[in-house]
Amino acid sequence: MIKVTHVTKTYDDGKVRVEALRGINVEIKNGEFTAIVGPSGSGKTTLLNIIGGLDTPTEGNVIIGETNIAQLSENQLIDFRLNHIGFVFQSYNLIPVLTAKENVEFLMLLQNKSEAERDERTTKLLKAVGLEDQINKKPNEMSGGQQQRVAVARALASKPDFILADEPTANLDSASTANLLDIMYRLNQEENMTFVFSTHDQRVIDRAKRVITVEDGKILSDIYT
Amino acid sequence: MIVKIAFKNIWRNKLRSWVVIIAIALGIFGGLAVISTATGLSKMRQNNAIRTYVSHLQLHDSAYLKYGRLDDTINQQADIITYLEKSKKVKGISPRLKVESFIQSAGGTSGVILNGIDPEKERQVTDLNEQCIAGNFLERYKQKPPIIISQKLATKLNARVKTTIQCSFTNNMGVPITGIFKVVDIFSTSNSMYDELNAFVRLEDLQNLTSIQGSHEIAVVLHEGKEVEQFREELISKFPNQHIASWRGIAPDLGYADKMMDLVMTLFLIIIMLALAFGIVNTMLMAVLERKKELGMLISVGMNKRKVFWMIIWESIFLALIAGPLGIFSTYLAVNFFGRVGIDLSFAAQGLRSIGLESTLFPILDDKYYVIISILVIITAILSCIYPALKALKLNPAETLRTA
Repeated sequence: MIKVTHVTKTYDDGKVRVEALRGINVEIKNGEFTAIVGPSGSGKTTLLNIIGGLDTPTEGNVIIGETNIAQLSENQLIDFRLNHIGFVFQSYNLIPVLTAKENVEFLMLLQNKSEAERDERTTKLLKAVGLEDQINKKPNEMSGGQQQRVAVARALASKPDFILADEPTANLDSASTANLLDIMYRLNQEENMTFVFSTHDQRVIDRAKRVITVEDGKILSDIYT
Repeated sequence: MIVKIAFKNIWRNKLRSWVVIIAIALGIFGGLAVISTATGLSKMRQNNAIRTYVSHLQLHDSAYLKYGRLDDTINQQADIITYLEKSKKVKGISPRLKVESFIQSAGGTSGVILNGIDPEKERQVTDLNEQCIAGNFLERYKQKPPIIISQKLATKLNARVKTTIQCSFTNNMGVPITGIFKVVDIFSTSNSMYDELNAFVRLEDLQNLTSIQGSHEIAVVLHEGKEVEQFREELISKFPNQHIASWRGIAPDLGYADKMMDLVMTLFLIIIMLALAFGIVNTMLMAVLERKKELGMLISVGMNKRKVFWMIIWESIFLALIAGPLGIFSTYLAVNFFGRVGIDLSFAAQGLRSIGLESTLFPILDDKYYVIISILVIITAILSCIYPALKALKLNPAETLRTA
């Protein structure tokens, strides 16, 4: 369970003061397939970053499970992200010098998992995203859709509590988007994996079970579909 | 995995990495080449001086060095020579009688030090006999006592082999003495100043002329040059009344050259390491700045900053580990090759000869420099990438993912 209470985020460089989030309150339960939508500059990515511990709120609390991540130190946050949160980024952000298998395996290495466990899980995950025949390819040898599927497999590798996906389909064509959404939806259905997207892609919004609309740093609507 | 990623990272931009690697290798090669050349020159000068006129050790009567009187000969000569001849460390000894003399021929005059030597013993100590043009190293010539003079002095006196020359000096009683000698050979060493100031006659001829028995100087050459100071101490304890000097004391300029060389080498090592450091800082800083987004992603997904830091350090170490051996190995090959065949500097032979050097240079590089350079390269590589690595640690993951 993700519980965001009274979260504000203000950017102030001494000259310009921007209130990116203004008192956000939201709860996301395990197993949800949630899309955070809104126009550019609405605060959806800031909200996602704060939920993911990539950014800290100016005020308020973000409680994941039983941990208030707003109170964690920088190093504790990094460890927390490694063990509890999976990330999928808009531009895939795979490690270019590693193969698909090595990219997926990477987080498990950081978690000091055994080689046998790494091998088993990597194979399983790449199979789950339909890339079992691409394991030795490097990112530049794969299409955007394939790279994003590797990114999903990587996000799942560390056995996170939930996955945050920041506009995951923004760089994909329709077929790849449909394929990626199918995979994530299946993982949500079959393994009860929680997905939280920030998006303005209608195809993602259409598949989401819950759509939270953010505008001017506030939640405008929160609808279960 | 961190090490693996680091190694793979340096080949992302192959051209840039190779440019840096070659630049570092060339820097190491250039620096070590200069050091080996300088060492070669210094050793050549040292060896020439030791082989030609200084020897490893010289023994004198203390009064002779103080007053320069002719009768201040070595008073324990027989004991000293017996001791030296018995020592296994000694390769050769040569007693010398030295007289400051005025030398003249029909064609000119000059001042010289007339050295009375035993040719057979002198051969064991110096290579003067090898420097003689006609191959007559003070062999008797008819009735006149033989003398050998240098090419430079011969030119000055307008003399040649078979020329008769006259040497004049005063004995210790102030009585003028003149000796007539026949030039039997002409020598030429690599030290033109030494050549101009020295002439050689047989020891017994000079003893007869001066009515002085014994000698003023005993030159000693050891089998192992590195035992000089230890053997000197041994002799001092055995013959405390004699003045015993090693080549460093006799020709302090050679010792200073050694120290100077150490200083120059240290300076060169610092320059090499600075060049290496700037190369690595530049490369790693570029590598960090152009990978901001990726580094931000690594931190985002849970790679702690300690690992990010070490990844950057390893990248730098790999650059140094490739460039270092390349530079060191190419230096090793070059120093070995030119150490055997020599570097021809005959275009500057005259100038080199005036400072006691030959025209073929043999570079020398002590093994310790390979070890020192290897260690310094690694240390410099690590130190110089600390700044780029710290730069990477300051990245804000959310910001880099948003803006990069």
